Amino acid sequence: MPEVRIKTLPPPHGGKLVERVVRDPQMARKLMEKCSAVYDIKPTLFKGNPVRNVYREIMSVCYGFFSPVEGSMTKADLESVLERRRLTSGWVFPYPILFDISEEDYKKLGVGAGDWLLIRLKGEPFAILEIEEVYEIVPGDVAVRTFGTPEKNPEVVKVPFDQKHTGYNIYCSLNPIVLAGKYTIINEPKFRPPFDRFWYPPKRAREEFEKRGWTTVIAHQTRNVPHTGHEALMKNAAYIGDVKPCDGIVVNAIVGAKRIGDFPDEAIVEGHEMVHLAGYIKPERHLVTFTLWDMRYGNPIESLIHAVIRQNMGISFHMFGRDHAALGEYYDIFATQILWSKGIPSFGFEEPPYMVDGGFYIRPQNIEEFWFCPKCKEFAYSANCSHKGIYSRYSGSFIRGLINEGVMPPPEIYRPEVYKVVVKWWQKFGYPFNNEKYLKEREERLEVDLPHMELPAHLKK
Amino acid sequence: MAKYFGVIIDEKRMAAIKGTPLEDKVQSIFGGALRRLVIEVSDELGQKVIDQFTKARFDARGYIEETPAAFKRAVFKRIAEMKDLSEAVIKKVLEEDLDKVKEEAAKEDKELPVPDIDISDVLELQKNPVQKPA
Repeated sequence: MPEVRIKTLPPPHGGKLVERVVRDPQMARKLMEKCSAVYDIKPTLFKGNPVRNVYREIMSVCYGFFSPVEGSMTKADLESVLERRRLTSGWVFPYPILFDISEEDYKKLGVGAGDWLLIRLKGEPFAILEIEEVYEIVPGDVAVRTFGTPEKNPEVVKVPFDQKHTGYNIYCSLNPIVLAGKYTIINEPKFRPPFDRFWYPPKRAREEFEKRGWTTVIAHQTRNVPHTGHEALMKNAAYIGDVKPCDGIVVNAIVGAKRIGDFPDEAIVEGHEMVHLAGYIKPERHLVTFTLWDMRYGNPIESLIHAVIRQNMGISFHMFGRDHAALGEYYDIFATQILWSKGIPSFGFEEPPYMVDGGFYIRPQNIEEFWFCPKCKEFAYSANCSHKGIYSRYSGSFIRGLINEGVMPPPEIYRPEVYKVVVKWWQKFGYPFNNEKYLKEREERLEVDLPHMELPAHLKK
Repeated sequence: MAKYFGVIIDEKRMAAIKGTPLEDKVQSIFGGALRRLVIEVSDELGQKVIDQFTKARFDARGYIEETPAAFKRAVFKRIAEMKDLSEAVIKKVLEEDLDKVKEEAAKEDKELPVPDIDISDVLELQKNPVQKPA
């Protein structure tokens, strides 16, 4: 009889966890000596507003969230990802990861293949890029090919992407020159509160799971303060496990520049934490974490980066709901579930991503929908409850609309303690959602501070 | 496919439509925790509303959401005035009230009054978080 118990955590995607962080200051100084130029990171702007900061990608690469990716992609890897959602090594990877600079900056830096570039963040040395290749891109072309079109991807793309889509705008706003090569962090950033207590990069996450005795773990993707429907989803999806429900439920928030109108990341991570602090899920079974990534809202494509991240963290299952990581009506609302149940051939998946070569160990838990049903007297699963006209469907947009109008969401929608976390950050920022002011200040503040580190003399000029 | 626009009905709004045919059209949602009126609009008109406001969008239920509170107030005012729940109400707001709505929405984008509620219980819970910084 086959063994049905899951006794170990899944291996990292690509076989080996990437960790490119130098913690020895002497070694950091030696590496800086080899650099020939310094570059200060600039946020990617769309119509003057920050939509991305490449530092978040450097962090996610160097701490292993994006294993096996080790840096900014070469032209061959970029083409391979855009054509078939695979790296040239054959491992599934969905998005271009690029270090892009303007032509003007490229000329000023005077670097080329074989040179090392010192990257500064908030005025301090941060990371090194070992330049392997320099090439040009057409940002609009990268954007279209990243997300797909109704003509090329008719299975799931319903309408062409446009400037109402934040992820599309990120790629359209990239600079035209790409410096490709491996990143290494040489000056470890320190997370600001409240992010510091939720920082579980893959190595630490795996250690924590082992400490807690977890071998079956399910991931909950979030970009939202949790409503009771999310809570029901987490609790019920976690029944999958093996001979018993999953040992652990891991919330992994995507933290980064986001859409105006979303909740601030501070409220998102603390809102999820409140689910266990207020006792709705036992803290022994619930861990709140985050990954730095400027969300692309790519629905099925985004689900693949989620699989990469969470498998690298040691997570065995991933819940995928309707409209997963989506924005607007560009994709079929069940596009992610289509991908994870039968595949999307036009995106390079004749079969689901856990069945293809170079695919994942992490398994999907495709969930339809939870709604509130006063007749069932529960947060009912849509495949169970047939009380049409009685149940109420959740909608994050609807709830944000309530808050915007000054209506306190009732306990049927939000746990009161969770809503109070929203109010806490509303008091702090003067606004409950991301607005232009918050996003601009946030981009200056970022999630981290960097210790002071002296530049080598030759780079001070 | 039709789209929908929902307006939350609180006590004040309920009083404003009391005794009119609209009163019977009020729907109870989330087991009676909230009440609303719903206007059904064509796809085209729904899109026209979305196009007016940067954050606005259709949600997965087909509702027009994340419009400014000022727009919702204007729609309710017209509902009460016209005693109507047809798309004529939305058309009227777009034709006659849009400039004022946009002016108010611009202020709304910068500041929203913080609710006056006691949050000391959650601050107490947060004093001793289970998860600690690395």
